[in-house]
Amino acid sequence: MFLLDNQVVRADWRQAKAMVTDLLAKNGAKVLCARRWDERKLAYPIRGRTRGTYLLAYFEITGTSLNGMRRDFELDERVLRYLMLKVDAIPAGEMEKAAEEGADGYVVPPPPTEEATSPERAVFGDLADRPIQENLRRNAPAEAPEGGDGAEAEVPEAAAAEES
Amino acid sequence: MAESRKPSPPIASRHCDDPKIDYKEVAYLQKFLTPQAQILSRKRSGFCTQCQRELKAAIKRARHMGLMAFVQ
Ligand SMILES: [Zn+2]
Repeated sequence: MFLLDNQVVRADWRQAKAMVTDLLAKNGAKVLCARRWDERKLAYPIRGRTRGTYLLAYFEITGTSLNGMRRDFELDERVLRYLMLKVDAIPAGEMEKAAEEGADGYVVPPPPTEEATSPERAVFGDLADRPIQENLRRNAPAEAPEGGDGAEAEVPEAAAAEES
Repeated sequence: MAESRKPSPPIASRHCDDPKIDYKEVAYLQKFLTPQAQILSRKRSGFCTQCQRELKAAIKRARHMGLMAFVQ
């Protein structure tokens, strides 16, 4: 799953989505499906944003490509957050939902405008969440192999991954 | 002192082989937070060790993605 900056989404959802799927493909991932999951108010400000759009994608990738790909997403400021998890299978209905979005005439509702936040508050939120974020990042690589996620299993040869 | 701790009833029952707890099910996860947005203890959630671990992982993921608050 990817949390995208609404400014990018507002300009053009399809392009915002392609930005992510292109980065995935560039790192050798095979994208199985991708769709707009939701547009929401964030539980806490992230980089001064109070709202954002979530993209949910399922893809296959070999473990060796993962670190390079993480780096790409870390560096891209249009991606506010991302989460990648191993999954056994794509949940039922997921492919259909993604296909609907690709159909002709499908209109993505434009994200509402940002709620008014004072600059101080935005800065505060950004600073406030940084240590935690870094903490999570440091823990993230260790978490997957160690097996808290183990139930999510390996898929033969390439793991199907959901990034959130 | 005998009744100094009355166990509060578990929030929700869960079978261990139910589908994995999804970090995207924010409304469900929210039930397992204190008003200060802390994760309920196993005793109060009523979950077994495995399910509690799953719950914690799901809440942490939801927090990371900005779907849930760290503090209230
Ligand atoms: Zn259990």
